[in-house]
Amino acid sequence: MIGGRYLRLLGLQGRISLATAMQYRLNFLVEGVMSLYWLGWNLLPLLVLYNDRQSVAGWDQSSALVVIGWFVILRGILEGAINPSLTDVVERLRTGSFDYVLLKPADAQFLVSTSRFVPWRLVDVAGGVGIIVWAFVRLGHAPTPADIAVAAGLLVAACLAMYALWIMIVCAAFWVVRLDNLAFLLTAVFDAARWPIQVFRGAWRVLFTFVIPLALMTTYPAMALLGTLHGRTALACLGGALAMSLAARLAWRAALRNYTSASS
Amino acid sequence: MIVVDELRKHFKVHRRPPGLRAALRSVFHRRYEVVKAVDGVSFTIERGERVGFLGPNGAGKTTTLKVLSGLLHPSAGRVEVDGHVPGARAAAFLRQITLVMGQKQQLMWDLPPAETYAMNRAIFEVPRDQFDRTMKDLDALLDLGPLSTKPTRQLSLGERMKCELAAALLHTPTTLFLDEPTIGLDVAMQLGIREFIREYNQRHDATVLLTSHYMDDVVALCPRVIVIDGGTIIHDGDLRALVKAIRPDKLVSFRPLAAIDLADLERLGRVVQHDPARVALEVPEDHLRDVVSHLLSAMTIADLGIEDPPLEDVMRKLFKDKRAAAADAPADAADAADDDDEARRDDDEGAA
Repeated sequence: MIGGRYLRLLGLQGRISLATAMQYRLNFLVEGVMSLYWLGWNLLPLLVLYNDRQSVAGWDQSSALVVIGWFVILRGILEGAINPSLTDVVERLRTGSFDYVLLKPADAQFLVSTSRFVPWRLVDVAGGVGIIVWAFVRLGHAPTPADIAVAAGLLVAACLAMYALWIMIVCAAFWVVRLDNLAFLLTAVFDAARWPIQVFRGAWRVLFTFVIPLALMTTYPAMALLGTLHGRTALACLGGALAMSLAARLAWRAALRNYTSASS
Repeated sequence: MIVVDELRKHFKVHRRPPGLRAALRSVFHRRYEVVKAVDGVSFTIERGERVGFLGPNGAGKTTTLKVLSGLLHPSAGRVEVDGHVPGARAAAFLRQITLVMGQKQQLMWDLPPAETYAMNRAIFEVPRDQFDRTMKDLDALLDLGPLSTKPTRQLSLGERMKCELAAALLHTPTTLFLDEPTIGLDVAMQLGIREFIREYNQRHDATVLLTSHYMDDVVALCPRVIVIDGGTIIHDGDLRALVKAIRPDKLVSFRPLAAIDLADLERLGRVVQHDPARVALEVPEDHLRDVVSHLLSAMTIADLGIEDPPLEDVMRKLFKDKRAAAADAPADAADAADDDDEARRDDDEGAA
């Protein structure tokens, strides 16, 4: 029953986001064109890198395309469903309109996390799926249903991990208010997820596997689709994502207790 | 019923002197001090009461309202609203209160207010028929007309405030915390909002706690006022009793039909205004009858009026007297703590 209520609220927030996006018609169309442009731009580094070599860190071009496809899907979800709402939270904290969120009899984290969607980012998600399909056509075989199921599970884990990371960043805003640079840094770091984790060495690989788990977000789901991921790693990914979600929830609750509200 | 018992809310704030050097130093070493926004406030408000909350800027009014509506956790003391502890933010509590902040908005800027109403209806789980009835009532009281379907950014300040009130009340709360609901509005709009609040209070037996810089709002709406300054209550009771205690004089004004000598007027009371068009005197209440009969018999005047001094004057005198008394008293304790550790300890207590 509670789940049904929150699903209804999610639907309503989505409808309102669509209505907001369409309120400014020209902007809506420009965003669409930009989405298509960036979709093409994503492939460029890969094409340059594989121009004069067959394999990078054990990944051939077609397999690396699966990672890129996964990265484009994830970035579509990040910029379409996670980033806009959570960027708004920081603004709401600064102006004090976050007060109105806390006055509502619904979970505040849910309300702020679903307050704004950017519908055009669905183009990225569809484009990412297209890139993966293209990669498998080049590979000459299709993923098995079991591989697809594991990859779908890892997609959920990847979204959870990404969301948890962003929530923890937002929680910092309760203390420091301005964190434009921190959010920018994280977006820049996320860009590294377009490369398979095996490309990175030493401390970087540890960082991108355990601290900012980019491997969990793109490499492992891609490996699952390619049928090369160990089952234990998949389970560890799910466990890691759940642990991060729990940590994010605890951080959120601590942040609310610390809320001081902007002055009138 | 609202119960506030020894409420304290302290904030740790970072302070630094102006200038680049101080800015650079503050990057490495921050000095904090504790601001006692609310410092031992106690009062009780019965269901259906309309209470004005008065005080100068920074007195602690808004902080108290935010604690009462569950936005801020008290540093110390007990707060209850209809049996709920606000800080717990229980759904049942949030469904029966509302907080309207004249300087902040909940309406979605790019969309018509109707979208905010729809969102609030879903969040507060207001059944469709009840929502339709309430919106009809609110429309009649606030004269919303076509405002709900115009994008918020295209509404005037007054129109927006009406829609803000509708958005804040469509779940028919029984406790209203109103923080400067008429700020920036013209006189006609102020009157409209004021009438609406009174009507809502009577129709729903709603408790109203109102802060306003416009004393007229308070005079018109609130039989009881709580005056707060420096985080503590300095008066709680009947508005007229407060006026009488602070400024026992009445303001007698009239239009002279012939020239009147200033010396003659000064014998009757303190002359506030002495123009050919209007004369105003402050007269002690005990002498009022004698002064009025003297004016009517010995002078040629018209448009005689007797009124209480403006509430603004009363407040100014109240705060001035209080500060003078505080300055005379020995400085027993410093309000601010510069020491970082002490500041941090206080904050920890507040968060506990």
